[in-house]
Amino acid sequence: MKVTIFAAIEIASYEVSMKIYALSPKTMKEITYVRHRMELGKDAYRLGKISNERVEELCSVLLDFKRIMKEYGAAEYRACATAVIRELESSSLILDRIFVKTGVQIEILSNSESRFLGYKSIASQEKDFDKIIQKGTAIIDVGGESVQISLFDKDTLVSTQNIHIGTNRLKERLSNVYEQSSHFAEVVEEIANNALKTYRKLYLKDRKIENIILIGDYSPYISRYINAAQTESHAMSAEEYNAFYKEMLSKNPQEMLNVLGIPAESEALILTTLVVYRKLIEETEAKDIWMPSLNLCDGLTYDYAEKSKILRSAHDFENDIIVSAKNMGKRYQSNKNHVNVMTTLALTIFDKTKSLHGMQKRDRLLLQIAVLLHDCGKFISMSHSAECSYNIIMASEIIGLSHIEREIVANIVKYNSMDIISYEKFAEGSSLNRDQYMKVCKLAAILRISNAMDRSHKQKIQEIRVNLKDTKMILTVDTLEDITLEQGLLREKAEFFEDVFGVTPVLRRKKTM
Amino acid sequence: MEKTEIYKPEHYENRELSWLKFNERILGEARDKENLLFERLKFLSITASNLDEFFMVRVASLKDLVHADYTKKDIAGLSAKEQLAKINVATHEMINRQYSTYNRSLLPQLAENGLKVISHHEDLDEEQKKFVDHYFEENVYPVLTPMAVDSSRPFPLIRNKSLNIGALLKKKNEKKAEEEFATVQVPAVLPRIVRLPNDKDGNVQVILLEQIIERNINELFLSYDVVCAHPYRIMRNADLTIEEDEAEDLLKEIQKQIKKRQWGEAIRLEVEDGMEASLLKILKKELHIKSDDIYEINGPLDLTFLMKMYGMEGFDALRAPKHIPAAVPRLHGDYNIFDEIARGDILLHHPYQSFDPVVKLIQKAAADPQVLAIKQTLYRVSGNSPIIAALAQAAENGKQVSVLVELKARFDEENNIVWAKMLEKAGCHVIYGLVGLKTHSKITLVVRLEEEGIRRYVHLGTGNYNDATAKLYTDIGLLTCSQSIGEDATAVFNMLSGYSEPLHWNKLSLAPLWLRDKFLELIARERDNALAGKEAKIVAKMNSLCDKDIIDALYDASQAGVKIELIVRGICCLRTGIPGVSENITVRSIVGTFLEHSRIYYFWNDGKEEVYCASADWMPRNLDRRVEILFPIDHDSLKERIIDMLKILLADNMKAQIMQSDGTYERIDRRGKVLLCAQDYFTEEAKTFLEKAEKKDENSRVFIPAEPQ
Repeated sequence: MKVTIFAAIEIASYEVSMKIYALSPKTMKEITYVRHRMELGKDAYRLGKISNERVEELCSVLLDFKRIMKEYGAAEYRACATAVIRELESSSLILDRIFVKTGVQIEILSNSESRFLGYKSIASQEKDFDKIIQKGTAIIDVGGESVQISLFDKDTLVSTQNIHIGTNRLKERLSNVYEQSSHFAEVVEEIANNALKTYRKLYLKDRKIENIILIGDYSPYISRYINAAQTESHAMSAEEYNAFYKEMLSKNPQEMLNVLGIPAESEALILTTLVVYRKLIEETEAKDIWMPSLNLCDGLTYDYAEKSKILRSAHDFENDIIVSAKNMGKRYQSNKNHVNVMTTLALTIFDKTKSLHGMQKRDRLLLQIAVLLHDCGKFISMSHSAECSYNIIMASEIIGLSHIEREIVANIVKYNSMDIISYEKFAEGSSLNRDQYMKVCKLAAILRISNAMDRSHKQKIQEIRVNLKDTKMILTVDTLEDITLEQGLLREKAEFFEDVFGVTPVLRRKKTM
Repeated sequence: MEKTEIYKPEHYENRELSWLKFNERILGEARDKENLLFERLKFLSITASNLDEFFMVRVASLKDLVHADYTKKDIAGLSAKEQLAKINVATHEMINRQYSTYNRSLLPQLAENGLKVISHHEDLDEEQKKFVDHYFEENVYPVLTPMAVDSSRPFPLIRNKSLNIGALLKKKNEKKAEEEFATVQVPAVLPRIVRLPNDKDGNVQVILLEQIIERNINELFLSYDVVCAHPYRIMRNADLTIEEDEAEDLLKEIQKQIKKRQWGEAIRLEVEDGMEASLLKILKKELHIKSDDIYEINGPLDLTFLMKMYGMEGFDALRAPKHIPAAVPRLHGDYNIFDEIARGDILLHHPYQSFDPVVKLIQKAAADPQVLAIKQTLYRVSGNSPIIAALAQAAENGKQVSVLVELKARFDEENNIVWAKMLEKAGCHVIYGLVGLKTHSKITLVVRLEEEGIRRYVHLGTGNYNDATAKLYTDIGLLTCSQSIGEDATAVFNMLSGYSEPLHWNKLSLAPLWLRDKFLELIARERDNALAGKEAKIVAKMNSLCDKDIIDALYDASQAGVKIELIVRGICCLRTGIPGVSENITVRSIVGTFLEHSRIYYFWNDGKEEVYCASADWMPRNLDRRVEILFPIDHDSLKERIIDMLKILLADNMKAQIMQSDGTYERIDRRGKVLLCAQDYFTEEAKTFLEKAEKKDENSRVFIPAEPQ
């Protein structure tokens, strides 16, 4: 049995940590979990930058992590930072300094990406994950900045939303209140209430939530306290949590930290966290609450194991990304039938022209999402739909996509109907590099052709065959309908495709017998 | 909230007085006629060097407290001043007993056995006189530095612990000349024991160096008449930052109280008895020493020379044969230590069993291609340690080697720095201890990438990674590749590297964060069981017991009816047999050839017996200011073995002494009992273990015909 040793590093606002895992087709076993407390967030949120001393400290920790990786024979690693570095003006400079000094390449994860990994981590640990999410389940990831609520039903993601009631954020906002009021818990509750009520009205509606999977900094401690007797991970009931909550409120914050075994910490923070957890449980009316001990490292490792085909997941994560894009399209009243046909056409072309574009599976997913969202801007304006679509996509969180990927999708959609501009001009308003720009061009070219083929929105063309012959791409369709419109439009769109791939698309009707 | 004190000061013993009793027990071994004569010399020598250290560190610290007007009382209700007064009385008595042992018992016995010590140079015969004078001229005279004191020359600095000869001089040919003081140090570079030609019956004859100098002292002061000359020796208040190990509890108090210390103040003066009053008066005045701190000695000063005598050639019949530890059954001959550990946990009982497997583990790990990393804590390591060499080799072989070197280990600092630098050069990652904490835990972790994944091999011990002391100290070691202990071991090293504590521990308990609570919990569990009418029992073996919380918990347990049997070699501040407090507690101390060093903790736990070993004693310094590890012995057969060990230790009636309700220790009445010396028993046991295992091996040496395919 081959074992792969993998290390995942997370740079979070209050802690730098590394988990090393032994991966084999059957299991994902944690070997060590190294944590270093470091309040990067304090610097970042207060000063808008990270002091030199902190960067130095971070470097020495990373060098040490590299040493520990060697101790366990970890050949590969992935190091990621979240909000704390993401929101800095000077983030690229800092990352470059760290790389020069330590050789550790740190990626910045977008919120949607890190949340996606967060929930991948759950799938990695919870044996019954697939069973749990058959029923209405909310995965709630309580972070310092915000709370992400992802709803599952019948094994698929239904919606995912980001609400700005992160524990750190609330605590900071209420720091004056903490000093003055003896009813701090009530005040936190009030604030959380307001945000959650809106969420409930807009997204939850009358959906029934049976389970909550709650991930947060303190959830492992709470779960261990409540489930002290159990050895296996185990769900607690809402009543159990409420009893626990009452018990905790009767203690002073220092005692709370002591009985939970949480190392010295801001007293206001633990209280805020307990209240937020309680509100979430109350609002969702869930019966069972799971609190696995997980962090981003678990998700990174699972993602690695999945991508390098060491582990095979029972759950289709890609589908979750597609479902959430579909839901977004639905909200902006996309034409479902049109989109369905286009998806088939675009993906067929993509698959048959691999020798032309040389792109990967992930790019196919981006194309698919671009198709799903290609006309969402029409919801706002018929005449400026390209710009509007671009803006809608850029303003939305699509779970599982990085910000770069999101920007690629937004641009594919934009240049579906707008004329492509040179990279130099393009780069003025974009953070994409030349390769990513090329990706936009290639995928936009495919999107344009598939869009042209259902111009009538009548689904005249349901299926195509794609053949590459010399400098031509022959698209053969099997339909009895008149395709004059499509043929005419295709010629118009073919020019761009030719520019990109050096191949002319030609639409032919299959000779019927 | 102040805890109300249920127990009174008289329920505790002062730790210094308890330590003196321990030294008294060693002295008892020197006086025990059942011991071989040279072994008795060794024990006497140990009492002397122990006492020196006690003065330099403990007495000196107490004096500092007095200087600082520190009035807080100790656990037994004594102020520093009161403690010093009691120590003074006890040490005077002890010294008298040391010398009566030497003079009345050991000297005549030595003479009977063919070793004659000539105590006074006046007793030399003519031939011997010629011999020593010649020896003096050739070897001694050139290295002597005599110093006279007069108005132009101040009193010289007399070095700590050095042996000196003080003399009163008078200018020759001046009738009214005043007496002047002169002093000369007995050179430490020359052997203290000088061998004379054998007598006609072939008996070995020796004399001490200071006697030779005394006889020839005229040669040093040619223009003077020597009125008198006598040896003396002083002990100074040592630099506590070095001696921290033994005095750290006091040091903390001192740091709080004192700003200016009187460094180097003389705290003890030993003089040969019969020294002229005028000479003594000069010493007393110049050294600023009080009468109480003067010890008049009836015999040679500084008995540590007896250790040299122990090593004299010949006399093998008077010494115990050199102890050779037995091999460990599964770990001898040709073996792969990793395979053996993987087959099951292995217990090592030193010094009865060899320490080699531990050295082998590291040597093997250094060369094994599957090994990725070695991590180890090193506290006191022997000079040319094979462990250090193996670690350096491992780093050179490309293994990841991390070593925590504790620089604060007493007397060893310089030594430690040298090899720590060497390890760094070889490519090891060296951590130089933790701020404010001493790393006393003994743990080694070897990480190996095997077929099934990462496997961690761990050694945990009660004693240091020192192959020299492993032949003299009794200790327990555990070799295991248990996954849960492996995970904990990784967490220990993460913490030692400055990372956060793990979310939870599987098996190990660590000081200073969790260990005290763990012990208190274990003791309380027995107490609760006893209160619930169940059987309850604690057996604990350690070096010293002086932690008040633990003692109080034991008193509580005793009152609840828990049977508590303690085996405490050294200091014990707990008192036994106090009505209503400690009737159910017994304390015994075993002082033998080997230093009892293992720490074993046993709890009956309502029939689900639990056995632990640890690097920690029940002392505040172990529980509060050190990194220590307590590890369970879970494997049934190993647990049984340790329980048997405790039974044997409790049954010892040769070397064990039992604490009485008045705080004194007494030997066990052996009438009608089978004699049992635990240390001898274990020595034999280790041999039989090996023999049995070898027999088994032989039986299995049969050729096995292959089955037809």
